[in-house]
Amino acid sequence: MTSQQTTLGEGATTAEELAEGQREISIAEFFEKNKHMLGFDSGARGLVTAVKEAVDNALDATEEAGIRPDIYVEIREVGDYYRLVVEDNGPGITKEQLPKVFGKLLYGSRFHKREQSRGQQGIGISAAVLYSQLTSGKPAKITSRTEGSADAEYFELIIDTDTNEPEIGTAETTSWDRSHGTRIELEMEANMRARSQLHDYIKHTAVVNPHARIELREPGLDEPLKFERATDQLPAETEEIRPHPHGVELGTLIKMLDATDSYSVSGFMQEEFTRVGKKTADSVVDSFRDRHFGRELGWPARNGAPAADVGADIEDALREAVSNKGADATDTFAERVANSLTERERTTYSQLVEIVATVADEVGADTGKTFGATVRDNAVEAAWAELTEFGTGGVEENGEEADGDLDRLTPTLYELVDDATSTRKDDAAVHGLAERLAERFVALGDDGSNRMRLALDDLTTLVHEAADTTEEYDDETFGDTARENVVEALWSRMVTVPDDPPNVTEIAGDRDTASELLEAMRETDILSPPTDCLAPITAELVEAGLRKEYDADFYAASTRDAEVHGGDPFVVEAGIAYGGDIPADGSVELLRFANRVPLVYQRGACATTNVVKRIGWRNYGLDQPGGSGMPSGPAVISIHVASTNVPFTSESKDALASVPEIEDEIELAIREAARELKSYLNKRRSMAKRREKQDVLGRILPQMAEKVAEVTGREHPDIEGAMARIMNNVGVDRERDGETVTLKVANHSDRNEALEVTEIVSAEPEGLPDGVEPIEMDGEWFVNWNPEVSSGETVELEYSLPTDADADATVDGVDDEKLTVNA
Amino acid sequence: MSTEDTTDAEARERLIDLAAEFYDQFAAGEIPRMELPTRTKSNIEYDPEKKVWVYGDRKSTRTANSVSGARKLLKASYTIDFLANQLDEDRSSTLRELYYLSESWNNEEAQFNSQDESNNLVEDLEIVTGATREDFHMRPEESGAKVMGPLLIREQTQRGDRDIHCQKDVGQGGYQIPNDTDTIEFLDNDAEFVMCVETGGMRDRLVENGFDDEYDCLVVHLGGQPARATRRLTKRLHDELDLPVVVFCDGDPWSYRIYGSVAYGSIKSAHLSEYLATPEAEYVGIRPQDIVDYDLPTDPLSDSDVNALESELDDPRFQTEFWEEQIELQLDIGKKAEQQALASRGLDFVTDTYLPERLDEMGVL
Repeated sequence: MTSQQTTLGEGATTAEELAEGQREISIAEFFEKNKHMLGFDSGARGLVTAVKEAVDNALDATEEAGIRPDIYVEIREVGDYYRLVVEDNGPGITKEQLPKVFGKLLYGSRFHKREQSRGQQGIGISAAVLYSQLTSGKPAKITSRTEGSADAEYFELIIDTDTNEPEIGTAETTSWDRSHGTRIELEMEANMRARSQLHDYIKHTAVVNPHARIELREPGLDEPLKFERATDQLPAETEEIRPHPHGVELGTLIKMLDATDSYSVSGFMQEEFTRVGKKTADSVVDSFRDRHFGRELGWPARNGAPAADVGADIEDALREAVSNKGADATDTFAERVANSLTERERTTYSQLVEIVATVADEVGADTGKTFGATVRDNAVEAAWAELTEFGTGGVEENGEEADGDLDRLTPTLYELVDDATSTRKDDAAVHGLAERLAERFVALGDDGSNRMRLALDDLTTLVHEAADTTEEYDDETFGDTARENVVEALWSRMVTVPDDPPNVTEIAGDRDTASELLEAMRETDILSPPTDCLAPITAELVEAGLRKEYDADFYAASTRDAEVHGGDPFVVEAGIAYGGDIPADGSVELLRFANRVPLVYQRGACATTNVVKRIGWRNYGLDQPGGSGMPSGPAVISIHVASTNVPFTSESKDALASVPEIEDEIELAIREAARELKSYLNKRRSMAKRREKQDVLGRILPQMAEKVAEVTGREHPDIEGAMARIMNNVGVDRERDGETVTLKVANHSDRNEALEVTEIVSAEPEGLPDGVEPIEMDGEWFVNWNPEVSSGETVELEYSLPTDADADATVDGVDDEKLTVNA
Repeated sequence: MSTEDTTDAEARERLIDLAAEFYDQFAAGEIPRMELPTRTKSNIEYDPEKKVWVYGDRKSTRTANSVSGARKLLKASYTIDFLANQLDEDRSSTLRELYYLSESWNNEEAQFNSQDESNNLVEDLEIVTGATREDFHMRPEESGAKVMGPLLIREQTQRGDRDIHCQKDVGQGGYQIPNDTDTIEFLDNDAEFVMCVETGGMRDRLVENGFDDEYDCLVVHLGGQPARATRRLTKRLHDELDLPVVVFCDGDPWSYRIYGSVAYGSIKSAHLSEYLATPEAEYVGIRPQDIVDYDLPTDPLSDSDVNALESELDDPRFQTEFWEEQIELQLDIGKKAEQQALASRGLDFVTDTYLPERLDEMGVL
């Protein structure tokens, strides 16, 4: 859309005017302005896009109903226009559904769904309807028959471009030869210049939807293009999932907060997101609290802790603080609180409040005295003051010398900083840093009660300030790592506060708070989204699809495990076909699919293309001029990305956007399939070499044998043994001695071989070992052995046969090139 | 020339034995193969008894297990057949003729692709059978080498025996050494020593200046890398007539190799070192030290010269105090000089000053 900015100073008036102006743009105008984004920027391309949208819709409709798709596409010239007809055998649609499906732009049940489906934005088929209406002025003609109904219904539909409302012009019953299904007929200004893209689209759709039958008729074809079904297996049904906490953005989150019925954050998290239970929700809420309120730093009262042994002082302070409760109750109260504190590693302000409350209730119950709110507050303040004593109490009390210089914070911090930084730091500097940290913690209380409460950001700032000052005065450096370690040590000792987090309404109302929640969601470890919302084709069917449309020598396919980008799960699959009838000249053919939809345009902008180009194909046995870029040779590479949200570069959904997580998976999937290709090509190459060697040696060695026989004046020697050995072959030789037949299986290769030897004989064989049974068929007997022959070994298969009987052996289980059968 | 008295029948026998070996290997179901010493610099060692460099223990096996190995053995079989027939018919041929003759064989796979290939194969057969190519009646194309000096010989020629004095009965060019020096008998001589000279120009200078006459020297022209016959004759002059042998070459690494092949034997024919090498031969010059001492006109060492010198430092044949010192000096000064560079001090300098002084120093005169 147009991008205009409100000029500063003119304020709301301009913005309002602008908004009004925007509302006045009609849908037709919107379409006109955005048709390049929607894939209708030319007549040639518009036709392909219309076919694409209609076929995608038809496939989705049939699959959702569990029907094997049978799709018919026809393009015909009608005067100045082209007429596009797409028929499916889906469940059909009712009059009520009709406008929603075909009419309203940007309508679609899928728009808010997290589920893998072909059309994701709901913009497709209605855009085609609008395009046809705008270019030809004709309504969309839709015929539909639901299963079991006697007649089909016929509608003519136009879109009111002022209101973006569909209107049904004609509605009548009609007859149709399909028992159920939908037929849409669109007339539009178009041309067939993109014929090859159209054919590619249909062919690739067939490759990636082996369960569909597709037929295409268009003026340039003498015979319709028919793509038959290769499997009856429909893609797995997909489940719709709620969004994943890692996948939402701030705007979406605020909208969700506004819309939810939940009151608490925890309830909201569990209700509206996938993979969030009570425990995960608690983690998110804790993390949110840390961000919203900060954590509290606690201090030790334990004997033996640095500068502790504070128990007695606390007890004294508590006795001072409690008045009018009688000596017994006061003593018991002071003693118990002090004991609780000395037993703890360290205590934060909030924890102290809780302890005082608990002890006050207990002692109150035991003694019958009531410890009211004021007493409790005084007690908390008194104990906290002792715990966090930092040389500020320079007031004389009871004539005793005040412990004005007493500092309980610095020693505790010193220990912590010393642990967190390297041992080489100057001791005085470490002490200086600890003291400066203590000063700053104390200073936090300047504007109210000092609870030593800090968010991570503030803590980091505080540590940096203290460290900077220390560097300045103590001539010691505290580098980034040291500072990070100190922050980390402090933060890990700080405790999440028990305060109730703001409720959903409060968060929704405050962008900063919502942002804190979003951050908490992102930082919390949460299980990856479930993958049953995805329907990968499976490696097996990727291969079947390639096999169906490409007559190649070799096929490989791979399916990766589901991964997540943002909050959306995705699966990448790759397939490779090599050799056979695939043209060997030029670059390999790259088939790109997103949610089973072929991507036809903008190949160069697509993430899949980038990934294919960055792989070093020479490693996998394909030519790659210059060592990068598109490989060349007789190969087809197909890549399928299935996701609840496939990131495209534009609304026309022609090219995958470069998302690193997805690119990585694409690369891994391709490499997986390419490794199989490599081992196939290596084997083929070594077989070719072996064949060449066999050819040459098979010619040379008999000549050499003949020559040495000639020179030495002897008979021509038997060179079979030498030949078999040279070829690293498996040799099968027959020896017949009277009625005894021996098949010698000699393995000259460097690996063990498992063979299947089948002997076909013209008389009944005798003397076979147990487990080898002859099978008679039309006067011939079939005998089958499965010998395993270790490298360098020879196995003899023996039986008896009348001397006049014929025998012929066939051997399987070893490549022909490695086999020499002389039997 | 013969390593020992190998008769034609014996040589033929040995060739056929080799063919029979291949035959037996075939018959036993084995892969035909032929074992040869590895013919590289790293596999030659000094034989203190024979005082020459011979092949070490490392062997390479040529088998029919590979396409190229099988082709070589096929060619060997055809060559054996040819040589056996040649001996049978008492004919002879040159190495080059063998190469062309293979074209007539009915099998393309057996034909030689290059002269080097057929030469190498004949050498292989020499090694395996223990006979020499002369035993097989194989001749090199030409030796080109000549002798000039006070020596009377008798050569058996196809046209009868000829007595020849290598000073009085020959022209300015000298006596042409035949391919098979075993046809030469030494009758008489007045020689004091033998001097092998690398270049034709220097030989002509010595002859023109009457050096052979004046010092009773047998001047042997090597003509570059010396042929087997030249080396064999040199060795016979040393062994049979008890004459000291000195070698006079250019002052560059390639010339040191020429000296090496006269004195120590070549790597390619190390199996014949015992019969071809004259370990007592000494190097006259040009020495790198001469370049410095006589301030000779020089050329700078090229990269390939430097590589060759460094390779010689690794060569077991050159690992003596004298050579290491000289080669290192040459690498140091980075220069080389030809024999004719001595002419910068006058045409007679070499015969009047350089050689008499040097030979006196060496105790030859």
